[in-house]
Amino acid sequence: MAGITDLGVGIGWRSEIDLTVERLPGVDFVEVVAENLHIGHLPESVTLLLERGIPVLPHAVSLSLGGADPVDLSRVEHLGRIAEAVGAPMVSDHVCFVRAGGLDSGHLMPVPRTKDALDVLVANVKLAQENLPVPLALENVAALLEWPDGELSEGQFLAELVERTDCWLLVDVANLYANARNIGTDPHRFLDEIPLERLAYVHVAGGVDHGDVYHDTHAHAVLPEVLGVLDELCSRVKPPGVLLERDDNYPSDAEIASELAAIRAVVEKHRA
Amino acid sequence: MVTPVTSLGTRLSPEEIGYLTAGPGRAAETALARLIDADLVRVSRQGLVSAVHLGDHGALTELERRTLSYARTGARFDTVVQSTAYSTEMKRLHQHLLDQKLMQQPRRRHEGWWFSLAVAIVLVVLGFTAPAFFLGVPIALLFFVWQRGRKAVTEAGAKALRHVAATDRVHAVALYGFCGKVNGHAVADLFELSQGIVKMLPLKQNRKRRSSSDGGGGCGSSCSSCGSGCGGSSCSSSSSGCSSGGSSCGGGGCGGGGGGGD
Ligand SMILES: [Fe+2]
Repeated sequence: MAGITDLGVGIGWRSEIDLTVERLPGVDFVEVVAENLHIGHLPESVTLLLERGIPVLPHAVSLSLGGADPVDLSRVEHLGRIAEAVGAPMVSDHVCFVRAGGLDSGHLMPVPRTKDALDVLVANVKLAQENLPVPLALENVAALLEWPDGELSEGQFLAELVERTDCWLLVDVANLYANARNIGTDPHRFLDEIPLERLAYVHVAGGVDHGDVYHDTHAHAVLPEVLGVLDELCSRVKPPGVLLERDDNYPSDAEIASELAAIRAVVEKHRA
Repeated sequence: MVTPVTSLGTRLSPEEIGYLTAGPGRAAETALARLIDADLVRVSRQGLVSAVHLGDHGALTELERRTLSYARTGARFDTVVQSTAYSTEMKRLHQHLLDQKLMQQPRRRHEGWWFSLAVAIVLVVLGFTAPAFFLGVPIALLFFVWQRGRKAVTEAGAKALRHVAATDRVHAVALYGFCGKVNGHAVADLFELSQGIVKMLPLKQNRKRRSSSDGGGGCGSSCSSCGSGCGGSSCSSSSSGCSSGGSSCGGGGCGGGGGGGD
């Protein structure tokens, strides 16, 4: 796919840290939350980054592709229009549902890993793809629970999703770590099972331990263990891009810069 | 950052300088300026102020702690300044300035303040014809002094301020406000803040215009520079006497948003 082969190291653009993102050294690309942007009113900072030639990738959180209801095409259309407005090479959302029976969960809920649920997901992904101007990448989520009667592992589930829809994968290594900690899944097995040649880019995020549970907060520092999962991924494939997600409790510019540098060090260790 | 020491030996903190110069709004601006200066908060292009995540340390004064608490979840630039200006911590800063005799409860100038002076002069003239008239002179003068009103900043306060200079960008905010100018340059530029952000603050003047090319204020909190503290729901309801406004507030005028007192 043109333009996605080498994104480099990036960070999630958030309005609170817009100036920080602009002045940080070594930001090769950014991601924006599509639902936070409005057509015709792009934030000045995003426009400035685009003028500098920094790729801006819209990331959606509300398509609810894993939901039983057909995907809301107005949301897909908005995502597509944002992609066009920023000239994005691709867009993304999650393998999850956020609405059911008219209610909003407020969380990215994991999809039951059954053949039936996969059929529903595939149908929604295909419908979204038909209505998007650019390719769609889908991200693995962090789950605090596993639905009973799962027929496939998470890796197998995503592999089949890619097989049937030709979508791209956005692998969040912090979510892999969270699932390993909280529900005992194996990140190595996940990486063995997914089609790495369809990897669009990678998310890295911070979190915090709360007793036996790891919370994927995006508001704390990135744990070395999460960088360990990134390291494992990079030992298997050269990721087209790796992006740091920070959504709250923003640290100093220097601290964010050092997190980006740590990510870059892992990526470049394998390129050498 | 240097804390200026005046000839009287009064050490004024930047927040105190801000308060004495233009009231609680300016002191709130000064607290925010120090936090930006120390990288304890960041301001976005849209004027969103958010605390840099460091745990609870970093703030040097209770006013800064209050400002940080408002910025913890991200808040508009003007909201942070206004909220700090109306905080209990600001009232305590004002009380401290009262205790130090750098400020006092202001009194409005009575509309007919000149009349008692005229009466005193007439009594003096008449005293040369009938000395009994001299007895009325002190009474008339007392009336004059009372009716003339008095400023919120005392002589000592004004003196303490006299030698304070904008030695750094935090002091520049204390003396001229984010909307002001120092040596012909916009103070906002020192913080890389756009005019769009600092102009969120309501129009506000210094108590007394400073000399030179420096622009005294321009905007600030709606808490006006007169009166005694930015508490209460409105200026007129405060017990400070701020309701009077008038000349006791100094040359810069008691203007601004006309909110609470000083
Ligand atoms: Fe993510």
